[in-house]
This record gives sequence, C-alpha cells and structure tokens, in this order.
Amino acid sequence: MKQLLSLILCLLLIGSCKEPTASAKKQAPPLQKDTGTALQNSVNPYEPIDISPMDITYFPVDYPVTKMAHPETGLPKVRVIYSRPHKQGRTIFGSLLKYGEHWRLGANEATELELFQEATIQNKKIPKGRYVLYCIPQPNLWTIVFNTNLYSWGLKQNTKQDEYRFEIPVEKTTTPVEFFTMVFQNSNAGANLLMAWDDVVAKLPFSF
Amino acid sequence: MKSLFSAALLALLSLGAAAQGTAIQTSSPIVDVKTADVKMLPLDKSPMDMAYFPDEYPVLKIKDKAKEPPVARVIYSRPQKADRVVFGDLVEYGKVWRLGANEATEIEFYKDVKIDGKRVPKGKYTLYAVVNSDQWTMILNKDTDTWGSFKYDEKKDLLRVNVPAQKVLEPVEAFTIYFDKTASGANLNIAWDTVMASLPIAMK
Repeated sequence: MKQLLSLILCLLLIGSCKEPTASAKKQAPPLQKDTGTALQNSVNPYEPIDISPMDITYFPVDYPVTKMAHPETGLPKVRVIYSRPHKQGRTIFGSLLKYGEHWRLGANEATELELFQEATIQNKKIPKGRYVLYCIPQPNLWTIVFNTNLYSWGLKQNTKQDEYRFEIPVEKTTTPVEFFTMVFQNSNAGANLLMAWDDVVAKLPFSF
Repeated sequence: MKSLFSAALLALLSLGAAAQGTAIQTSSPIVDVKTADVKMLPLDKSPMDMAYFPDEYPVLKIKDKAKEPPVARVIYSRPQKADRVVFGDLVEYGKVWRLGANEATEIEFYKDVKIDGKRVPKGKYTLYAVVNSDQWTMILNKDTDTWGSFKYDEKKDLLRVNVPAQKVLEPVEAFTIYFDKTASGANLNIAWDTVMASLPIAMK
C-alpha cells in the first residue's frame, strides 16, 4: 500500500515538474526574432518581456530625473537607447562576438543614439540628429560606427549608410560585467559614453 | 524497496527545487555589477521596451519587407502586476499616470496623424493617462524626455481624448503597449491586469 502511495506521489511529482515547460511553450513569441524572452511563465498574450531588456542613458547624466527638480532645463544633449544582453557564463569577446565582425552594441533592435545638438568626437563634428550605433570589436580596439539606417533590427548593418567611424582603445575591467552596459559619464571635455561587458570597457569621448 | 522510492522521491524533489531556482533567477535578473572605475547600472525591475507601427518594423526592415518609413513608435517601461491590484489601488483613479514606470512614456509619429479628428503633427510626445473604472483619458503632452508624471504640466497638452476601459479575461502580468492595424490606421492598445484601453489613430 505504501509502495503504491509512493508510486502515485512520484508520478504526481513528475507531472507537476513538467507543467511549467508546457505553459512556457505556449507563450513562445509570435515572430521569429533572434533572442529569447524572459518571464515566459507569466501571463501575457500580447507581447512577452525581452530577456535582454531595453534601457536608456542620457547626457547630462540622469537628465529626466534632474528635469523634475528643474522643469525649465533645456533639451538634453544626447541619449542612447540600447538592449542589455547578459553574459550568462559565456565568453563574450572573441567567442560569442567574433573579432572583426559587426556587433549591434546590445541585442534586438539596433542601438540608437540621438544628438540634440552638434557634438565633436575625435575632432570630427557630428551634426545633431539620430544615428544607429554599431561596433566592430578587436582585441585591443573597437571601431564605433555612426550609421543612418534607422529603425532597423540590429543583426544586419547597411554599411552603405555608414557616416562616421571612430577607433577607441579597450581596457580590461577588474570584475566581469554581467549585463552589457552603456552609460554617459561626465568628463572634462563633456561626456564619455562608456560601454562595458564581460571583462572589457571602452569609452567614446564627446565634447559639446 | 521503500527506501528506493524515498530516494527517488528525494531526487525528484531536489530536481524540482533546482529547476525552480533557475526559474527565479531568470525572472528577476537584478544584479548590481561593480568594477573599480565604472559605475555599472543594474537592470531595471520594470524593463524598457519599444513598440512600432507597423508591428515589428525593425525586423521587417532588415528583411527588406518595409518599403515605407515607420508611422509610429512607443518607448515605455514594463512594471509587473506582482500579485497587486493595479487599477483603483496601485494606479489611483482620477490621477495622471505615466503609463509605465521610470521615464515617462514617449510616442513618436514620423508623419502627421489624426486622433479624435484632431491633427497631430509629426514629432515626439509624452503619453499619459488619467484612469477611471469605466474610461481612460489619454493625454498627448509636448514636454518630452521627462521622468514619470511628477512634473506633468497641463498647459503643455496637445490633446486629451476619452476611451472606454475594457475588461480582459486573463490578467496581464507585465504592462503592455502594442499597435494593431485598423481600416483607418492603427489602435494603440494598452493592457495591464484585467483592463485594456485602445486609442484609435487615423493615418491616412
């Protein structure tokens, strides 16, 4: 009798273990994208949450928050909208991301940089406007490309629409960075757009 | 025999626990990463997302299936229901709500459109709503790149329009905004918990 009970319990457990997988499958994203989605077991018939969620960074640093205290603040100088993949135990540079190949600086949609006023990078004047930003990583330097093929998914870059290219050195971080991070930081000349993932960090210098 | 079953049970139980552990990790991926010279931002609990009209425009574009420019885009953040009662409690009735979390929700039109018969010139707007149990007042405001609705200024409104609040059968866990094609353009659909509101946008 006891054995029968245990057997039933076992079967029940197996059954209950399988359940989440089944409901996760039901929630598969409707369109073929190249990245997965998080929170697959949560109810959402419309649009699942991305596993590499989107984020935004402004310069001046924390512009929207500052604006709350000072509503008459003018326009921001620049903002970047990007997605944040995570390392998840993988080796990123030279493995997941091949050296010499285009990388969208994130995930999902191409990374978008919007200049609200003209900026100077490495003595080159960049007119105000919106750009797609992508990267060609190498072990010791990154090429950062400003491109005008806006509103595109990040997997395919139309290099005919490249506008500006900048080479910047890469440094090693002391601790691996789990989530790809882009953030503006104050510098003497204006701002650095800091980009970090895994054991690598690079800075693109802006002056205004 | 009994001990074998118990062992099997134990193994199964620990397997279940392990599986649950990983599930929890992926659903709340908040890790504060710090390095010596870098202020690393943790992931937002209410992550940002983007919705285009036409739907999935960027994917269509790299497949060479998008012949026209996009018409509209929304950038918003996605709080979770997390077992809370959302409307009438977390989101109070009668107050201006940022339609998301963190930065105020941005809607951009790449050409002139019409809402409620009024012309909306192309450009960026902040989208707010005043939620009530039976209807929502949708607000397009001209003050962009702002945080929340804390400094909402009615004088900068472009327009306000009332839309009915509809019930959805299954509660929506993560706050969601998406576009649906209609005969005259698109509906901007906004859903969370057991409520959905649709804002018709004429694009012809």
